[in-house]
Amino acid sequence: MVERKEKELLLQEASRQQLVRGQIDRREFMSRTLVAGLGMAGVGVAAKYGFGSALAEDRPLTPTFYQWIEDLHPGIPTVNGEFPGINYQIAPVEGFGIERFVAEAKNKESTWDIYVGQTPFVEMSAMVAADVIEPWDDYIPKDVLDDIIPSIREENLINGKMYGWPFLLDVIGTGWHSGLTTQAGLPDEAPATWDDQLERAKAIVESGAAPFGTTFDSHGWRSVAPMAHSMNPDIYTSEGLFDFTSDAAIEALVLMKKLMAYANPDILLEGASDGGVNGTPDEVAFAAERVGYYNKYFNAPLRMAANWEDPNQLHLGPLPKFANGAGSTVFWTTGSALFKYGKNKEKAAEYLKALTYDRQIWKDSIVGTPSGHPGQLPPYKSIYAEWDANPPDWMPPFVGLVRGQLDSAKAIENNLFGLQQFVIGKPIWETYLKGEESDPKVAMQKVMDAVKAEMERGK
Amino acid sequence: MANATATAPAPTRPISITSAISGWWFLVPALLFFVGYQVYPIIRVIWISFTNFEFLSSEPARWVGLDNYAEALSDPLMWASLWRAAEFTLMFLPGTIILPLLLAVLVDKVTNNKLSTLYRVILLIPAVIPSTLVFVLWKWMYNYQVGPINHFLVEVLGLFTVYDAPQWLGGTPLTLPAIAIMEVWWGLGYHTIFFLAGLAAIPKDLPEAARIDGANEWQVFWHVILPRLSPIMMILVVLRFGTAMAVIDEYLIFGGFNRDSPTYTWTMFMYDQAFKTGLWRQGFAAAIGMIGALAMMVVMVILIRIFRSKG
Repeated sequence: MVERKEKELLLQEASRQQLVRGQIDRREFMSRTLVAGLGMAGVGVAAKYGFGSALAEDRPLTPTFYQWIEDLHPGIPTVNGEFPGINYQIAPVEGFGIERFVAEAKNKESTWDIYVGQTPFVEMSAMVAADVIEPWDDYIPKDVLDDIIPSIREENLINGKMYGWPFLLDVIGTGWHSGLTTQAGLPDEAPATWDDQLERAKAIVESGAAPFGTTFDSHGWRSVAPMAHSMNPDIYTSEGLFDFTSDAAIEALVLMKKLMAYANPDILLEGASDGGVNGTPDEVAFAAERVGYYNKYFNAPLRMAANWEDPNQLHLGPLPKFANGAGSTVFWTTGSALFKYGKNKEKAAEYLKALTYDRQIWKDSIVGTPSGHPGQLPPYKSIYAEWDANPPDWMPPFVGLVRGQLDSAKAIENNLFGLQQFVIGKPIWETYLKGEESDPKVAMQKVMDAVKAEMERGK
Repeated sequence: MANATATAPAPTRPISITSAISGWWFLVPALLFFVGYQVYPIIRVIWISFTNFEFLSSEPARWVGLDNYAEALSDPLMWASLWRAAEFTLMFLPGTIILPLLLAVLVDKVTNNKLSTLYRVILLIPAVIPSTLVFVLWKWMYNYQVGPINHFLVEVLGLFTVYDAPQWLGGTPLTLPAIAIMEVWWGLGYHTIFFLAGLAAIPKDLPEAARIDGANEWQVFWHVILPRLSPIMMILVVLRFGTAMAVIDEYLIFGGFNRDSPTYTWTMFMYDQAFKTGLWRQGFAAAIGMIGALAMMVVMVILIRIFRSKG
């Protein structure tokens, strides 16, 4: 009975808060109060507090996560346990769909307080343009802000404001099947240059160790961009577009064609899920142990190698360099957006600090668990420093290599067309890869023209 | 006299205005549903198509007249994407009509009741599989590296190697036929049941009379059975034409957003503009949708007239 009374009072208080914010009118408030069985008690509470002052928040912290994050990181519920009453949810997004968030923001409301699943170059500009999210600057503790690796902090800025709290770091690097490379008589180490990788890929095919020497994901943000960054990461226009006509981008395209000579023939095909961007042919080839070297974010080779007879034959290393290149790569973080019309903002910051510093989540991510092996890394300097000072016995060598590469790595710049520019460009630069266009410069100029034409639509 | 009474028209009582109005009250729920669920969304989309509405923009939508239509009609991608949808329809429709028709005729000839029921159940199995499972199944079947179709072609028949095996899905020229095959398989039982219902409605003495008059089986089928199945065919052709032209789920799953892919049809173009590109130009996307819908309606009217003219 006492519990029921408490619930009734909570319900009533929630209704009163909505009345205060103007989300319901007095008639609705009275109706709810009567329905809840409170009668005059409800009227009494309303009179006591008055209708003009907003008091405490009326709902618990309500984060929403992209489904794959929960799937790959089983430690999240443990962190949630530290926040009693948390209303943990899975986001209604698929293939980067943010429609629901935008629709709610148009009504100046949000079902959730934060969204964990935002990749800055993919959707952050759109969320800012639609006035869905607000910066973290007023909520993120200074010690956390200072602890974020500078390139990652830069990635999460738009107009100097931090619209993303980084969480899971993905870096494009190299994975190889040591069983196949050893069979081909190759050293068990990452190729230092692209020329090395090409020679080794050729050796794998010629030795018969595997039908294919190398593979990559043909989506531009996973191939053209990182390969171009390995030559020179400063290839963005003043408006933040990837400069497809830059020397580095053209070198990347030429390199892709050379790699394709030793790759699985279906490499250019669209993937099988998420509008073609996931479940790509490179993953199938690597999972089927048909290819030696693999350039993609580490999450991919780790997941695919789980299908091998001996997953320990997977080795990881940094992305190769061009002979005279910068040796950079592409990274991105998947982090959290703060909904402008959400609530519990201070509490959300507290939660994210606990989540992103949780050592068990990082250990699970790097070592793997029965539910997955994402290989995603933390965004904080202090965690790497701690591991450097006292290397855990479970720490694989690739983590240090990737951390080293992060100092020169660069994220794809934020722009409304951050992802779309590569989607628009793909069929055009593929004319060069398929031999329909002989000049890579011509192909890339057409890409740039098409992207700009799309931006000009309707203006 | 009694006869005259029986044939005299029944006296009609004038309907009062009150009872006429009260009759309309019974229609209100259905009318509200029809207006709210059917009419309003269509009118809303038509209105949006004449504005510069961008979903991600905080600017209010502005009336732009026929600008969106002019832009869409002058875009080669609009025409290419419409043609791709038509190509898929041309691949899909014959399989949806001819194959189920032949199967229905064969199943109709089975005289053993148990066997006939068994055939019908087997035919209906694909129709009751949820779409997600169907897509997963066929994605695996068509997979270049590990799919059973390519395994059969490469490892069993030796017609291809791992370097030149067919690339079925993912935006190649084979993607549309591959999806059409999947769709025909998926709807085979469902469409066959349509024709079986039509066959059951044909009086058995009609084909018998034709046979007695000397008609062979082919003539019986062509001149007696087929004309009586034309109403069923019309329904199937019109319904399936509409679904085939407006396919989007399969293209999203099997083709992605590659604009050169044969699966990038007008529905994909519309979706891309409405939910993926830039500030999500939903005014322009609505115009693409209206053009696609109008094109479909024109063809549907022609199809209905063709079938009607054949009685």
